[in-house]
Amino acid sequence: MTEVTADRQTTSLTLPPRGAGRLQPATGHLPPAPPPGVDITYYGTPSLKASPWKWHVGAYLFVAGVSGAAQVLSLVAGMVRGRKARSVVRNGRYMGLAGSLIGAPLLIADLHTPDRWYNMLRIFRSTSPMSIGSYLLTAFGAFSGVSALGQFVSDMGWRKRAARRVAWAAHVPAAAAGAGMSVYTASLLSATSSPLWAAATRLLAIRFGSSAIASGAAALSLAERARGDRDGNARRLDAVAFLATISSLVATMAANRRYRAYGVDSPLRDEPAIAAKNKLGASAVGQALPLACYGAAAVSKRDRPDLSAVASLAVIAGSYFLRSGIIHAGMASSERPADALRFARRPSVARGNGSARIEHWIARHD
Amino acid sequence: MNVHSRALEETRSIFDRALRDESELTAGATIAPGRQYGFFTDTTLCIGCKACEVACKEWNLLPSESAGLTGMSYDNTRDLSAYTWRHVEFIEKIADGNGRATDMAPFQSNWLMMSDVCKHCGNAPCLEACPTGSIFRTEFDTVVVQQDICNGCGYCVPACPFAVIDVDPYDGKAHKCTLCYDRLKGGLEPACSKACPTDSIQFGEYSDLVERARQRVADLHDRGVETAYLYGAPGTAGATGDLDRLNAFFLLIDRPEVYNLPEAPDRPSNRVRPSLVSGLATVSSLAFAAALIFARR
Repeated sequence: MTEVTADRQTTSLTLPPRGAGRLQPATGHLPPAPPPGVDITYYGTPSLKASPWKWHVGAYLFVAGVSGAAQVLSLVAGMVRGRKARSVVRNGRYMGLAGSLIGAPLLIADLHTPDRWYNMLRIFRSTSPMSIGSYLLTAFGAFSGVSALGQFVSDMGWRKRAARRVAWAAHVPAAAAGAGMSVYTASLLSATSSPLWAAATRLLAIRFGSSAIASGAAALSLAERARGDRDGNARRLDAVAFLATISSLVATMAANRRYRAYGVDSPLRDEPAIAAKNKLGASAVGQALPLACYGAAAVSKRDRPDLSAVASLAVIAGSYFLRSGIIHAGMASSERPADALRFARRPSVARGNGSARIEHWIARHD
Repeated sequence: MNVHSRALEETRSIFDRALRDESELTAGATIAPGRQYGFFTDTTLCIGCKACEVACKEWNLLPSESAGLTGMSYDNTRDLSAYTWRHVEFIEKIADGNGRATDMAPFQSNWLMMSDVCKHCGNAPCLEACPTGSIFRTEFDTVVVQQDICNGCGYCVPACPFAVIDVDPYDGKAHKCTLCYDRLKGGLEPACSKACPTDSIQFGEYSDLVERARQRVADLHDRGVETAYLYGAPGTAGATGDLDRLNAFFLLIDRPEVYNLPEAPDRPSNRVRPSLVSGLATVSSLAFAAALIFARR
């Protein structure tokens, strides 16, 4: 405030009677926003608190994406290709089980009071992706377990037909839960007050979904290659991974534009570890390298297991770096009061909830 | 407000030798389940004595934190945390430009002080994020963490738009202001507002507080403090983006950012649906594309 002032002092001596001739609404006016480029903070102390998560959450988000998508793709492959995709179906079921067996302990280890993990299943809350995810993981684990057990029993040759039926019956709900597993983690991040997590809600979900499908396809493809790809499944899985990586690349580019427009991209630029994870890990290793490999393999006109394996490993690594990189960028973003307070001046509709209206709003305000 | 019948079972004071309805004497408000209560923090009355911080720590048995100096004026508390549920901010405002103290309006010497606290939001993001039901809305319309249920997942921490709630690394649970839930149960007003010597912090029924705050704004406008406005009362800055209202609201005389408050906080749970829809649409279209690819010879 406050231009002050002899004037003011004079007027205050000749006050009108209280309440007379008021122009202000009873709740007062918010003072005008500072001009662009001027950031007000309280001694630079954060205006938001970063999530207290440890490394386990990044690892879990990755595992949930790979195993959830593998379960979805193996169901699709099995339904479309039948017996030719037997090994894909088997691997998908085992990956689903493995993902649940690794993912659940990771989440429990991240709790600050792990021996109360079961309180996650005490209520259901549709406004909380953490709650939605707890039930998705429970369902995914249970159905993947039954499906994998059925697979194992039938592979052993005991009561073959019944076991196969059970495995298929459980595979369908496991894949449905797997689809949820591979994307709810984006809403887990977006449904917070962290500016970078909130700024591109839909795009983050598209990135997580695409990279999950890419990494699931890559993991299944690696498993096929290990057996020599006799049924031509790996080739097809590589095509799926290629398509999903393109989708992930486009969404990533759009999201980065949005972060810049909203002024929340600073952690991606000036924190070396975060920039490395996002640019080097998620984009160069996770997108550019596999696209180049898939492209080269397509050009070379014969089957290239070597390129396929490199691309698959890169896609899987990139999927981890994407999630870990976004988690850390969002945590850093929360602790930057200038960014967070500037972001919090935007109307809620312009925070990743809308689409065309957002661009309109930016055009008017930036 | 709907009150669960079990909340009405215990309405007698749980404190030995406490006056019945003491808050009627100290805050002019009787406390009964089913009504809405909150804080009105009038920052123009705050003198920065930190009695609220001390009273809060004393009553709630909260340990002290770092005893170091921050260099942030007289604010050595720094922020709200798992152990600190009231935080007095000090902003040493010098007149715009390089004005000297003698040039400034005869009001508060231009120092701003504000006692920050949990806002007990109408649609509380921490509560909506809590997967265990540990965070709940009480019969007084306040938001409280049940320590015997919290498993320390920490999801409430990034959900809060005001940097209030935090997980204590030592006991592994989330903590924040309870608006002295135990005192309300016993007919006592919260410790901080009772201790406040200037009535900068006022406790009462929400509708009464809003009415009182509007009158105070009008009064300040008449006295020449034209920048006075409410933050967090229904329909004002702070009560934006579907948060509906902040049960602990403020009278401010400068930009919200000056007090480390967001101008237009929003309700994070509004992003759950767009996110899930976009994500599932992505996965299903890619799965459909995969089906086409698998079907090729």
